[in-house]
Amino acid sequence: MAEVSIKDTPLKEVQIEALCVMRIIKHATQTFPTPATGFLTGMDINSQLQVTNTFPFPAAVPEASTTQDQYYQADAASLAAAAPRAKSNVGYQAEMIKMVKEVNVDAQGVGWYISTSMGNFVSQNFIENQFFFQRAADEKTVALVFDVSRTSQGSLSLKAYRLSPSFIAAYKEGKFTTESLQKSNLRYQDILVELPVQVHNSHLLTAFLHQIPQQPPQKTALDFPTSLSELSHDPNISSNPLAPNLDSLDLSIDPFLEKTCDLLLDSIENHQTEQNNAQYYQRSLAREQAKIQQWQQKRKQENVLRAQQKQTPLPEDEWQKLFKLPQEPSRLESLLVGRQVEQYARQVDGFSAVVSGKMFGVKGNLLPGELA
Amino acid sequence: MGDNNFLHLARPLAPAAVSAAAPSTAPVSVTVQPQALFSILDHASRRPAEQERVIGTLLGTRSEDGTEVEIRNCYAVPHTETAEQVEVDMDYQKRMLELHLKAAPKEVLIGWYATSSELNTFSALIQNFYSQQGEGTFPHPAVHLTVSTIAGQDVKADTYISAPIGVTAERAADSCLFIPVPHEIKYGEAEKSGLELIAGARDREDRSQLLQTDIETLERAIEQVLEMLERVSNYVSNVLDEEAEPSSALGQFLMNTLSLAPKVDPESIEKDFNNHIQDVLLVSYLANTIRTQIDLSNRLATAALTMGSGDGNNANAEQKGERKDRQQNQRQGAGQGGRRGEQ
Repeated sequence: MAEVSIKDTPLKEVQIEALCVMRIIKHATQTFPTPATGFLTGMDINSQLQVTNTFPFPAAVPEASTTQDQYYQADAASLAAAAPRAKSNVGYQAEMIKMVKEVNVDAQGVGWYISTSMGNFVSQNFIENQFFFQRAADEKTVALVFDVSRTSQGSLSLKAYRLSPSFIAAYKEGKFTTESLQKSNLRYQDILVELPVQVHNSHLLTAFLHQIPQQPPQKTALDFPTSLSELSHDPNISSNPLAPNLDSLDLSIDPFLEKTCDLLLDSIENHQTEQNNAQYYQRSLAREQAKIQQWQQKRKQENVLRAQQKQTPLPEDEWQKLFKLPQEPSRLESLLVGRQVEQYARQVDGFSAVVSGKMFGVKGNLLPGELA
Repeated sequence: MGDNNFLHLARPLAPAAVSAAAPSTAPVSVTVQPQALFSILDHASRRPAEQERVIGTLLGTRSEDGTEVEIRNCYAVPHTETAEQVEVDMDYQKRMLELHLKAAPKEVLIGWYATSSELNTFSALIQNFYSQQGEGTFPHPAVHLTVSTIAGQDVKADTYISAPIGVTAERAADSCLFIPVPHEIKYGEAEKSGLELIAGARDREDRSQLLQTDIETLERAIEQVLEMLERVSNYVSNVLDEEAEPSSALGQFLMNTLSLAPKVDPESIEKDFNNHIQDVLLVSYLANTIRTQIDLSNRLATAALTMGSGDGNNANAEQKGERKDRQQNQRQGAGQGGRRGEQ
């Protein structure tokens, strides 16, 4: 059972090999803005999950639409998002694992990754994928979420998520009604559990990194350039792989805010749709119940009448056959919207913290002495 | 003179001749992406204990004229090597290539790698296998990348292409001339932050590093800039004090850099600053308000029933929540307008 094995030794952290980080980045940036998905292999040691290798899932080819299952009818984005569960990919995954096993790569599946933009990843698809992985095998799987657009702003954005046991339990039952939510006390905060991620290098890689010339050069005497053009063409300066990354000092504010507002609006819209659904349900439920009550009263009166006439009373629970109560819409989507908005809010918080620091820095620099 | 007296000579193609003469198929520059190198290093550390070197296939892209090759990906291919013979699992190579092409159709077979810088007869054999017609890279020569992984020595990468050599057909099959070609390691923009993090773990004992938050990255970047500025200003003051040797090129460069500082009047800076900082704070405030509102509305939707009231109330509560949400938004809008008006 899922819950049992999770309780045994819960996963506490995720460790990713540098190789996997690079592969995910490469795959994600190549397919951007379509989300990229792939499979993670590795092993779990006690409470640590080690991701040691990855391979991408094939981007589903639209031409295959006639032969494949329903996912292939959708647009590119949802197509890619559904890839981890697509039937064709299960075979691909199995064969790939078999192949890498032959060259001594850890062949235990430990999850999947997806790339996203601006933290916009909480969706039914994401939940279904992770549920698919967390339900199968021995359950120790994570979803790595790589944010392409935030990474281009300077700092690597790679997060590991798991579904919480309480959410898994609820999802297994497939019931997200008001009643069940009250009982399980499930909140949107409880859907995903984030795990700390750390990057790990192999010994060989460490050796290799030490060998690459570092920037800025150590404080030894350097030869002076003879001319300006030599300075600008010096290969040591222009193409150093480990030069300090100053992207995070970039001061671009408006695109980020614009995108965030767009996404927030989308979320609000979704939320409203869900609300409308819920209201519609409530109204039709009230209507049906009123009808039932009417019927019951009528039946009671009839029975009183029949009792006076010494006839056998008619059954009073026949209404269950006559009336059908409307199905309550699933509240899952509104939970997810809540979670998604929380994600945006946190993201904006982080952004405003960074950006206001930078802004004051710029202001202090351009207006010396006027800093309030 | 007899008509049929000819001496046949097979001349190896020298690199100069190849690139100078008619359009050539030889790559003149090879670019290696870091993930391919990382993958090779990973493979090297996973090799069977008794095996000296392991090999694998390189995938990537080739420019139209075949002169530029970019190695983007690679995968390991099992092989066994003894003093007398070498065995490469060709079936594995073929199937793996198919699988890779499925996921990344744009990447083509480029060549192969080995985790030792030695070039021997077997290298030639494998090289000829990879550059053969049909399944190989023909008409382009296969690129051979060697990455030496001997303990105690530097990790050294070399790239080669090959030219056929040998007088007879049998000899030609297991010999070829490896021609070194220049290569460079290049990374993309997005990989920069990944590499930076990986490099950050370089000096640590446990070889691992936790992912950093934005603000930590910013802090580090600022520290680095400060350090560099200090170095430069140290140098400049040393030159002024006639303690360090001046360099006109450096001076020119510094002048050029300084002239990049924008000239803007304080008022417009003040205005832009206020505008932007208010935008940022506003969006952050809005996002959090929306989050609270949605949370509230969700809670009201599920909580009303526990209070024992009827379904009608529940719907009302929901409606109320929603309306509040909208009102709040309107208030925000008004606030924004007001604040903009102030300036």
